[in-house]
Amino acid sequence: MASLNPALSTLPLAAPRRRAWRRRIFDACGWGLCGLAFLCLGAATVWILATVVLHGLGALNWKMITQGTVGTGGGLMNAIEGTLILALGGIALALPPGLAAGIYLAEFDTGWLAPVIRFFSDVLVGVPSIVIGYFGYVTLVEDLGWGFSAAAGGIALAIIALPYITRGSEMAIRQVPREMRDAAYALGASDSRVVMSITVPLALPGVLTGVLLALAIAVGETAPLLYTAGWSNFLWNGHLIQEPVGYLTYAIWAFITEPFASAHALAYAAALLVTGFVLVISIFARLALDENTGWRRRMRG
Amino acid sequence: MKFRHLIAVLASVVALALLAIVVFLAVYSWPAIRMNGAGFLRRNTWNLGNLYSDPILRHGREVMPGASYGILFLIAGTLLSTLIAVILAIPVGVGAAIFLAEAVPAGMRSWISFFVEMLAAIPSVVFGLWGYVVVIPFLGHHLYPWMAHHLKFIPFFAGHSGSGYGLLTAGLVLCLMIVPLITATLRDALVTQLATQRDASLALGASRFETLWSVLLPGARRVLIGSSILATGRALGETMAVLMISGNALNYLPRNIYSPISTMASFIVSQLDSALQDPTGIAVRSLAEVALVLCVISVVVNGAARLLIYYHGRWSARMA
Amino acid sequence: MNPTSLPPALHFTPPAAANRVEPGRPVIGVRGLDFFYGPAQVLFGIELQVREREILALIGPSGCGKSTFLRCLNRMNDTIPGAHARGLVEIDGHNIYAPHTNVIGLRRKVGMIFQRSNPFPFSIAENVAYGLKINGLAKNRSERMARIESSLRAAGLWDEVKDRLNKPALSLSGGQQQRLCIARALAIEPEILLMDEPASALDPITTTRIEELALELKTRYTIVIVTHNLQQAARISDRTSFFLMGRVVETDSTQRMFTNPSRKETEDYITGRFG
Repeated sequence: MASLNPALSTLPLAAPRRRAWRRRIFDACGWGLCGLAFLCLGAATVWILATVVLHGLGALNWKMITQGTVGTGGGLMNAIEGTLILALGGIALALPPGLAAGIYLAEFDTGWLAPVIRFFSDVLVGVPSIVIGYFGYVTLVEDLGWGFSAAAGGIALAIIALPYITRGSEMAIRQVPREMRDAAYALGASDSRVVMSITVPLALPGVLTGVLLALAIAVGETAPLLYTAGWSNFLWNGHLIQEPVGYLTYAIWAFITEPFASAHALAYAAALLVTGFVLVISIFARLALDENTGWRRRMRG
Repeated sequence: MKFRHLIAVLASVVALALLAIVVFLAVYSWPAIRMNGAGFLRRNTWNLGNLYSDPILRHGREVMPGASYGILFLIAGTLLSTLIAVILAIPVGVGAAIFLAEAVPAGMRSWISFFVEMLAAIPSVVFGLWGYVVVIPFLGHHLYPWMAHHLKFIPFFAGHSGSGYGLLTAGLVLCLMIVPLITATLRDALVTQLATQRDASLALGASRFETLWSVLLPGARRVLIGSSILATGRALGETMAVLMISGNALNYLPRNIYSPISTMASFIVSQLDSALQDPTGIAVRSLAEVALVLCVISVVVNGAARLLIYYHGRWSARMA
Repeated sequence: MNPTSLPPALHFTPPAAANRVEPGRPVIGVRGLDFFYGPAQVLFGIELQVREREILALIGPSGCGKSTFLRCLNRMNDTIPGAHARGLVEIDGHNIYAPHTNVIGLRRKVGMIFQRSNPFPFSIAENVAYGLKINGLAKNRSERMARIESSLRAAGLWDEVKDRLNKPALSLSGGQQQRLCIARALAIEPEILLMDEPASALDPITTTRIEELALELKTRYTIVIVTHNLQQAARISDRTSFFLMGRVVETDSTQRMFTNPSRKETEDYITGRFG
């Protein structure tokens, strides 16, 4: 910094003037380009959100959330219901193995199994969701003959959510201070007691945050559902198989390409609902995981 | 059974899910793999054949006459759109990470970072909607004709500028989807780098940007490589956004950066309905083969990135 | 040191006055204990006895293995991956490293106080009740409340917290938190208390309070305390054991150790020439 100070550049020790200028230009260009990159990203975020919010608010009304879809018009009640059923069902299916994997990775990370599970889980995050959807189509819809159904869609979403729940629970459980475990072990608690009465309850807010993030992912997914859940204009009749269900992301994809204003309204309203839901969860999770406001404060005395 | 073993059994479901995906896709597509042979990756024709005539036997398998399954154009579309996305995303991601880590005051950093990294949380189909409604008209009517006219000295920039659906549009939107992955990881790495290194460089008379460029960024090199590979994996498998903006070309290799394309992921969605028309079922199985190829590619890419990151973690733990 | 001289057949039962051994009889006997973290050996052939109702202080420079040794006595080191012990550690005549040892029963009998107070982020009462609950030690609410009160009284905390038992334990001051941890350990009626530098994070006045408490507890419990503070060892312990680089240099009555140590290394350490 000192050599860039003009007062110092007259000192005999200072770098030659031309070199100082080169450095100053390099600095300015560097900061400028970084700022530009940041601006591009920020502008894109604002642009996308503005598009969704402006179009969405114009399309969203009471009728939208209280009526089912009729042809390429009507409302989205069937899709809202279907999204909730599929996403919540998928999370419910993924929770037991995902939480168990999180517990195993955080608490019993000693043998060969934990690194293997962690690796598979991390790779599973990267498997394209359409591959998981096609897997669901091949096995559940075709081989098992379930047809397009809530069960097939829910299982596909469960596979999508699994690695997120695993990673989220592992992180949350690792945050529980070692001293808490030591205290419980020293009082004569067994492995299962320590996990069930100390680590999991103390990590519960973090685990739930991870589950919420997985729910946001599940709500925003389209590709894994197209050929497992199908689409339906009607409310779900409670059948787990042989009964297609609608969901919001399908409405975005399918109705925006129709040439009717009523179809566009469905797509925009669905986009606003999905994006709004996802962003609210993200902001909530951010607050919950924040160093200063979040649940971890509870454990620092 | 001990508690620990019970947990281990449940936890194994996570690993088994991935194995099941690979195994079932392989089993299901096996007849297609045998019939299509290695030419599957080299041929450029996806044709279900004449669906109105009787099936004929080929390699002991019933197919429709004239049927041909080759995905060269999909491989080209997938790799090129990903390439464009990653080439654009790395400088933008690095620049934004540097800006967030060094130029934004620490008190605001967390929320400003959250704002731009929110892009990663927006669903793929919403990106597709935005691209379809807003970006394509703008690019197709204004920017691309201008680029085709004024930048035609650059290879692949000349020629018919198309409608806006195509390779560059897909690359640009994919870029926005993957930049937050790079930015978030790299920003963390820069913020947590040892203060001692930073101080040492500043004390030697380097400016803050020189310190960043020559000391901190090289220190985060492995993180940058790892996150870039993960971002590549994400771009390779993106489905909905690409489906809505790429033009869904069939049997067509891109001629310039405006050409319509298809990627493997988007092709699976766009073709399943017509593949179901094939009474021999080989079309659906060939589509499963596409899914299998995509799955193997993403497992390899993500596996490599994870191993790199794990190795780095162990390495830095040993140095500490 | 002969293990056969230790009293046999005292199973891991709560201490009843009837089957108490006489004061001064050894309750912990350690012979040839080696301990490893993975391939690294950190304890070498430890030989030590702890007698009933005495305070044994373990002193020595940082990293000499005192805390590791302490954690061998209730097998807390089991929770560290790759850690293993070789040799004999007998408590009431039972080798606690024998196969099929009931580690949970062992830890009930050998309570532990940690360097950093570690109350659970529950209420004060729930903290003390935790050990009772997991070990099924209180049949009903009134019995549980009685044991919570007696434990808090024994830890000298009752008068300070009796009006706010349902307040979070983390709202207590540092010294109160540490005494709460002691109360929590006492609630399950251990015979032996292991204290791992229990006052190192506390101010001098609070430290004095903990030391007084240790002296009171000595009338009912056997205490092994690790300390960095030589004055503390001199003030409260009956005997002192000096550790150096994973070995016991000498064990002797505290008075003799601090006035007339028999080994040169001990004298150097006590007079502050190293460590």
